[in-house]
Amino acid sequence: MTDDTSPPTAPRTAADVTADSPFTLPGFFAALADGDLLAAVCRDCGAHLIPPRPACYACGGRTLRAESQPLTGDVITYTEVRTPPPALEARAPYTVAIVELDSGARLTGRLTVPHADAAIGMRVRLTTRPPDDDELAMALDNERDWPIHEFDPIAADD
Amino acid sequence: MSEPHVAAVGTSPFGHTDLTGRDLFGAAVVEAFEGLPDPADVVEAVYVGNQSESYERQIMYGTLLAEWAGLRHVPAERVEGCAAAGAMALRHAVEDVRSGRRDAVLACGVEKMTAGGTAGATTALSAAFDRALEGRSGVTAPSQYALLAKRYLHDTEATERDLARIAVKNHANAVANPRAQFRREVDVETVLDSAYVAPPLKLFDCAPITDGAAAVLVTSEDVAATLPGDAVRVAGVGAGTNNIAVAERNLAVVEGAREVTTRAYEAAGVSPADVDVAEVHDAFTVSEALLAEAAGLAPRGRGYESALPPDERAEGWTATRLSTSGGLKARGHPIGATGLAQAVEVYEQLTGTATPDRQVDGATTGLLINEGGVADAVTVAHVLIHD
Ligand SMILES: [Zn+2]
Repeated sequence: MTDDTSPPTAPRTAADVTADSPFTLPGFFAALADGDLLAAVCRDCGAHLIPPRPACYACGGRTLRAESQPLTGDVITYTEVRTPPPALEARAPYTVAIVELDSGARLTGRLTVPHADAAIGMRVRLTTRPPDDDELAMALDNERDWPIHEFDPIAADD
Repeated sequence: MSEPHVAAVGTSPFGHTDLTGRDLFGAAVVEAFEGLPDPADVVEAVYVGNQSESYERQIMYGTLLAEWAGLRHVPAERVEGCAAAGAMALRHAVEDVRSGRRDAVLACGVEKMTAGGTAGATTALSAAFDRALEGRSGVTAPSQYALLAKRYLHDTEATERDLARIAVKNHANAVANPRAQFRREVDVETVLDSAYVAPPLKLFDCAPITDGAAAVLVTSEDVAATLPGDAVRVAGVGAGTNNIAVAERNLAVVEGAREVTTRAYEAAGVSPADVDVAEVHDAFTVSEALLAEAAGLAPRGRGYESALPPDERAEGWTATRLSTSGGLKARGHPIGATGLAQAVEVYEQLTGTATPDRQVDGATTGLLINEGGVADAVTVAHVLIHD
């Protein structure tokens, strides 16, 4: 977890790369399971990177801090998966989208409405939950505690 | 320094076959070396483009295929870059020759995609995504491209019918290509009436699952002069990556491909208008539109016109003929071999050895664009010139 006054910075020594650092996937997903979506925010160029990583792809800078992101944003594109990975066979069809959060960070995830009800520009909120059995079936051993993230539609003035 | 040349090419049949990966390679290399000295008398190293061991549960493809070519103790290795693996193998061979380190290198690519069925291919291809957020969300290769296509249709005047025309054009081209997987025409209605795989993309917007192999012998100019047959100069190469996650990229422009093709043009000293033939990575119809724009062959936002007659396209289009082989869509898309299959087509076009019905008269400059991962996660571009 982080607070706004002293957010964790990207690892600068090998000893900083630990499973409780938000700059590693175990640390990122542990925070996400608590409802805290973290991005690495570049102090040099302002890029927001989800999940956090040790360097900024946009400018190469390494002055990055983990910051909690707004959970609301807009669908910028979407589609429907009709031929899913084998483990998710019973779940299909389902909708996936790329969402741009209000901070500018972007991520891909499932959208919890039928494809016909989705639209570019739709306002959504990110939620998380533990994996279901089918999602666990495609998880690696080290991923079993990682939450599944999804986007729920919200009213435009929410 | 020695200018690299493509001195000989070959492929296996493309499609669904009983042959294994090594057999497919065997067919490709036999064709490439027909009338030439044995590979053991020429080849100094081998690079193998190969996407995934999950199809055949086989790695060590460098060793295996060197052995199958009759080579022992040469350096040989598999290169991996999803669907760009073939062009990565070609690039390694080209750079080895250009540096003067070697005089003859075999670049080849192999994929036996049907071995695991559709489920196996879906799983294998999904391994090319950022696993943490994309992969665990259950996106698939067609749905990743559909995310791009949806945005492309939103941002441009293109329609699903325009994308369908790209598939129709590439099927029509494949009819004249004896190497193609699908040598049959389709009409726009057939494409539009096919089932959605991931809207707005339908079955006929997607390249097929293909077994196949391709082999390209890259040599110095001196060695090429000793071999029978025509050789084509590799004048420019560009290679580069973009973010692995599609969400973090510009959805309207394949920026990585634009950067890479620009580098290849500059190295070759050509401009887009000089390109007579181009094999572009149409894994999905929208990819051809995006790549035509990225390569400077089409104006921004008008790449979807690639199937239209030149006089019906927007101003700013070049006269380049796109994917005369039938492209990935109809020639077939044996992932790790695709970049080399593109090289085979352009070699034949530039040497005037394509079948008459698809030969582009007087073609001297060709472009290959091979991408891996979703769109331009990695792109390799080559410019080939026949002087
Ligand atoms: Zn930065």
